[in-house]
Amino acid sequence: MKITAKQYAQYLYQIVSDKENDQIKDVIEKFAIALKNNNDLVKANQIIKQFIEIWNFEKKIVEAEIISAKELDINIKKVLIDYIKELSKANEIIIKEKIDQNLLGGVIIKYGDKVLNGSLRNNLTEMRSRMIK
Amino acid sequence: MSNTKDFIIEQLKQQIEGFKPSIEERTIGRVIEVGDGIAKIEGISDVMMSEMLEFTSSGNSEKKIYGIALNLEEDKVGAIILGDFCKIKQGDEVKCLNKILQVPVGNGIIGRVVNPLGEPLDGKGEIDIEKYYPMEKIAPGVIARESVKQPLQTGIKAIDAIIPIGRGQRELIIGDRQIGKSAIAIDAIINQKGQNVKCIYVAIGQKESKVAGIVAKLEQAGAMEYTAVVLAGASDPASLLYVAPYAGCAMAEYFLDKGEDVLIVYDDLSKHAVAYREISLLLKRPPGREAYPGDVFYLHSKLLERACKLSAEYGGGSITALPIIETQAGDMSAYIPTNVISITDGQIYLMPELFYQGVRPSVDAGLSVSRVGSSAQTKAMKKVAGKMKLEAAQFRELAAFAQFGSELDKDTLAKLERGKRLQEIFKQDQYSPVSTVNQVLIFFALVNGLLDTVPVDKISEFETGLYKYANNLGADILKELEEKNDFDEELGKKMRKMIEDYKDGLEYLIKE
Repeated sequence: MKITAKQYAQYLYQIVSDKENDQIKDVIEKFAIALKNNNDLVKANQIIKQFIEIWNFEKKIVEAEIISAKELDINIKKVLIDYIKELSKANEIIIKEKIDQNLLGGVIIKYGDKVLNGSLRNNLTEMRSRMIK
Repeated sequence: MSNTKDFIIEQLKQQIEGFKPSIEERTIGRVIEVGDGIAKIEGISDVMMSEMLEFTSSGNSEKKIYGIALNLEEDKVGAIILGDFCKIKQGDEVKCLNKILQVPVGNGIIGRVVNPLGEPLDGKGEIDIEKYYPMEKIAPGVIARESVKQPLQTGIKAIDAIIPIGRGQRELIIGDRQIGKSAIAIDAIINQKGQNVKCIYVAIGQKESKVAGIVAKLEQAGAMEYTAVVLAGASDPASLLYVAPYAGCAMAEYFLDKGEDVLIVYDDLSKHAVAYREISLLLKRPPGREAYPGDVFYLHSKLLERACKLSAEYGGGSITALPIIETQAGDMSAYIPTNVISITDGQIYLMPELFYQGVRPSVDAGLSVSRVGSSAQTKAMKKVAGKMKLEAAQFRELAAFAQFGSELDKDTLAKLERGKRLQEIFKQDQYSPVSTVNQVLIFFALVNGLLDTVPVDKISEFETGLYKYANNLGADILKELEEKNDFDEELGKKMRKMIEDYKDGLEYLIKE
């Protein structure tokens, strides 16, 4: 039976999760040999991608994206990070920032497959659609 | 003037102040694959089965495109797209709407032609929407139901006499193409005028020209006053064809909940099964017999179970379903026909041979049955139609036998002659339903041997004449018959007398 990239990533996580740093090198070498023997080296990129996902999920690390109209100052950023932590119940947040002037104001927060749209533009469109009704 | 201006400004200020921007957490996904009315979406991890999805296409934001999640897989979701899938691109955002697919319902849809999403197709403007009903709904349970007891008159003599339909029944109309299946359903709709029955005609995969013709005919007959047409045409994507009958049923359920009687026609379910097969195969569900997926039985049973007669405590409404199935070269034992036959409470089988012999509607008395309808027949009809089914079936057999030209005894000859007249009575033009009292009258004449002296080729002339005569000179008899829905010996005598009086004025009778 074929082993999928996701299954490889899961095995890899299982074998490395309880090892110390010096042992890990050893384990990974063996893992690479196994991949080679199975002719699955082409899946390496996918396995890495899946592994990051599994790692983040198990360690409760969330990658979040904050889109705002202009640069956010540090205090606001801290508030936002705490807010995302509370929402996603994560231990650690990795923030990616993006500036989009079209938002006019406010922020959009994206993490996982969730979106919180708190932009001024969104509020205005919502207000418009309600007034039309 | 300035007062009005101030008022408007004041109102506007209030509105804007009262507007609270709501920030809600939304789950979104992205389209990773799209084609043939199917989209594969990643993300939307908490989507429900058959939840409504909204595709936000970057190019065109005005018209929303909806979809339904049908396959929930490990890392992606398979969805059907209700609408123009060409406008959706890879990478488009998909929003979950947190609700199962709904359709607008209400009195506003009566007299309209709508698509399965409740959007008007007839160019008569917006539709008044009262509420939204879910398309998929579990059918009423045992407690809420009652046995079928009220007749639903189709106005077609052959059907009302030997295959009677009751309110809340599911009666399949089955036959080859171009043999008058839709015609029976349309006649049944036309005959509901003044009967307090709402009608819904669901056209699934039909030619738009045919539907346009049907709507025009219904309008001409004044039937659009109580009828709605749900149209998923032949050019619509399979996803719309798939949801059309459920949408029609949801619209019918609105009237059911108000305690009204509804007649719903699904024209036709074979195309519905084909559309579902297309969707299933595109979603990579394993094919079974005739490449239909394993749940094609459930597809139709869950739909037809929603036809029901509710007991008085639950409003007493009913949904009568007339599903239509098209067979290929008379093959009733194909997969979909056998499925639907076993689900419904009987079938009206239309026979090509009869059709080409000129017996129209070409209802086959032998293969057609109605499992519950006879308990819904009026007493008067029961009295005259009781033995007619048997007689019709016997006639068919004898007629085949008599072709050998051997000498027949008197009894058989009499039966043959009676049978010929019966078949002649069952012939009926399209769009000309016959009222129940008139039906009782002509059947009464037949079973009492009053037609034996009328030549077979004059039967239809005799019939129309009789209706006219009874309308003019026997109005009180018809009225009594209609009020009682039954006749005793005395009324029977009066009817016999009237028919004999009418016969006295005729010249073409056979002299004995």
